[in-house]
Amino acid sequence: MQRETAPPHQGPSTGAAAGRRRVVVTGAGVVSPLADSPAGLHRALAAGISARKPIELFETSGIGCHEAGEIRPFDPQAYVGERNLRPLDRTSRLLVVAAQLALADSGWAPAGQPRPAGTTPGAEVGLVVGTTFCSVRTIAEFDRRALRLGPSHASPLDFANSVINAAAGQAAIWHGLRGVNSTLAGGEASGLQAIAQAAELVRAGRADALLAGGAEELCFESFLGYYRAGRLCGSLDRGAVERPVPFDARRNGFSLSEGAALLMLEEASAAAARGAAVRAEVLGWGAAFAAASGEDGMADAVARAVRLALADAGAAPAEIGCLSASASGSVTVDRAEARGVAAALGERAAELPVTAIKAMLGEGLGVSAAWQAVDLVETLGDGVLPGIAGLEQLEPGLPLPLPETAPETTRRLEPAARRRALVTAVGADGHCAALVLGAAP
Amino acid sequence: MSAAARARRIAVTGLGAVTPVGTGKEEVWANLLAGRLGFAPVASFDTHAFSVHLGAEVRSFSPAPYVRRLDPTRLGRASQLAIAAARLALADAGLGDEPAPVAAVAPALAGVAMGTTSGEPREVERFDDRYLAGELDLVGAEFMTLYPCHMIAAHVARELGFAGVNTMIPAACAAGNYALAHAVDVLRAGRAELMLAGGADAFSRITYAGFARLGAIAPERCQPFDRRRKGMIPGEGAAVLVLEPLDAARRRGARIYAEVAGYGLSCDAHHMTAAHPEGDGAVRAMSRALADAGVAPEQVSYISAHGTGTPTNDRLEAIAVGRVFGAGTRVPISSIKSMIGHTMGAASAIEAAVCALAVATDEVPPTMGLEDPENDFDYVPNLARRLPVEVAMNNAYAFGGNNASTIFRKCEVA
Repeated sequence: MQRETAPPHQGPSTGAAAGRRRVVVTGAGVVSPLADSPAGLHRALAAGISARKPIELFETSGIGCHEAGEIRPFDPQAYVGERNLRPLDRTSRLLVVAAQLALADSGWAPAGQPRPAGTTPGAEVGLVVGTTFCSVRTIAEFDRRALRLGPSHASPLDFANSVINAAAGQAAIWHGLRGVNSTLAGGEASGLQAIAQAAELVRAGRADALLAGGAEELCFESFLGYYRAGRLCGSLDRGAVERPVPFDARRNGFSLSEGAALLMLEEASAAAARGAAVRAEVLGWGAAFAAASGEDGMADAVARAVRLALADAGAAPAEIGCLSASASGSVTVDRAEARGVAAALGERAAELPVTAIKAMLGEGLGVSAAWQAVDLVETLGDGVLPGIAGLEQLEPGLPLPLPETAPETTRRLEPAARRRALVTAVGADGHCAALVLGAAP
Repeated sequence: MSAAARARRIAVTGLGAVTPVGTGKEEVWANLLAGRLGFAPVASFDTHAFSVHLGAEVRSFSPAPYVRRLDPTRLGRASQLAIAAARLALADAGLGDEPAPVAAVAPALAGVAMGTTSGEPREVERFDDRYLAGELDLVGAEFMTLYPCHMIAAHVARELGFAGVNTMIPAACAAGNYALAHAVDVLRAGRAELMLAGGADAFSRITYAGFARLGAIAPERCQPFDRRRKGMIPGEGAAVLVLEPLDAARRRGARIYAEVAGYGLSCDAHHMTAAHPEGDGAVRAMSRALADAGVAPEQVSYISAHGTGTPTNDRLEAIAVGRVFGAGTRVPISSIKSMIGHTMGAASAIEAAVCALAVATDEVPPTMGLEDPENDFDYVPNLARRLPVEVAMNNAYAFGGNNASTIFRKCEVA
């Protein structure tokens, strides 16, 4: 095995966490098809409510799938007021609203208002966003308009939004976020990559307060694309019942979804100095890539990411109280994830409480892992771990202790299991990430 | 910045580039020092509907020598360019390139961080052609296996068997510097022992139409910092830098071009496509980079400017440089975009390679086409120059107000 713990130069031998800056979660903002607050999302997930509904955003005739996790109605002005939203496309609007909610939830005032007393003078809030496409719809519509009408009729507004960091830039402008501004793309792992990069920047002393998470919109281009790629539920075995159910033996793809979610990550002493409430701590993270194709390569990468996250957090497998898995109903990726997690956690895997919230929310690509993290912070607070709605027939031989049948699998964790929780995010193209969250001190 | 993080110094040990003025470090560097221009009428699509026609394309590029494990016909062009740059960089680093490239480092500790502006824009263009022709039934699985921008970093890693950190940072025209900064963090934190960091972008009608619509494309010449400059010229390319901890690089006897001494990131939070009128974001990025590197402004020997050639960028960039270095600064500043155009997500990666070469060779490339400088700065007009380059700063600014500065420093002999 390769060396996977911190190298010697990194610090004292008394543990990975000794002597370094700590990263805490002081709030969150969520936009999703199920709810627009962390607590609301948590309740909906615990109740097993599905986000799937017939798509109205675009025409689905000619496509064999017609349902998705569309946010409807989505009225950004209900959150951000009457400022001009016209320059923002759907992804940017989702992100701007999530940022508004996260800034308010964490006690940082929205742009244009004085900061709360006690904030570090000179501290600047930054933003790290995970996304797969930002807006492939904006890009495609810009191109098609220029082709139809000629380049002199191309839309400058759409062009400004055609860059993949557009949503992060728009949200920074909207909220006056002048710190680090970064966008990471890693498919289904994007949101966790973003949270990890932000935590790294805070830990390294490059930032004191960063919004981190993800954003993704539902649109015709990606919906058709995933349908043709055979990745939407039912898009391979057409005519079969669409079953986007993680770990189910008859799962046949994911249900596409949309939204945005951001955690406010702060350096612990800076958060304390401004009197912020600490909801959770970001203890460690790890990332790996499946360079070898196939299920074995993916399982190996998942296992490496989890081991790295645990080592970074200074946590033993036995200390992990529960898992929020990335599993989405994807035929091959779900199994690889289960195998990888089990390989990394050893004996602990046999009794680990597991949820896979994409059973309810669907696959939100760049936002998915941010939803997982936001919801797991709630779990650390109240001990309620959502179930896996629709799981009727567990795939035989999965090495995780999932319930055999589970319409009602939401459970209450023992107090000892509410101290450390694991999030995994697995991209079908090989990007794997894991994050260890700790309960508020 | 903690003392522990500072302790790990990061070296540049390999350079690979595919550019409009050549492929591979030697050819690219020789042509940049010679002031060769990479502009020609656009060949990859029809520009008759445009009022401008020049581009900086990579001509007669063949992925075959570089893409060996993967099937090049199943990769987008940016991925092909990125893989070529990565293989060239590894070979340049003396790490071999076939079949398991890096014997010195376990695959799990070898990572990739790439930047881009548009990812694989030709794949969405193909989609749009089918959409407008009423042929959407021809869209197959390849749209989603080729188009998403994270496939660039994924393809590089699959081709080379790199199983560590894999990050795609689509930070538009500052993306190369963002990827480099991220790779430095990954190495400093001990999360990898070797990182390939760079950027890639493919020539695209979407990019061309957008900049044309903004009136930002120069009709004949790209003349950064000249009073008569008329704009930028879109380009394409890729560059990859091999980064390793300095101590490990020395142990294996690697040639060390430079140390990545620090970086600074910031956001204007002002406008999507126009820089802050006082250059605030650029000033903060440069200042943070200097502080991170522990370098005073007067210690900087050379600045690789963002220098696109648009009236606005160059004016605001001069204001920002003046605020950090003093209005009377004589630090040599040049823009290679005067030769290879604006290669988008690849630009600051290519410019980072240029900074590493400047530090290693004590030569700096010129700003071509400069006849009537707008400011009283030393823009290294039209002729390359020999000068001691102890410290080089690489500046990049992007749509979305993303600013990134990186700093390269000569390494003392061990």
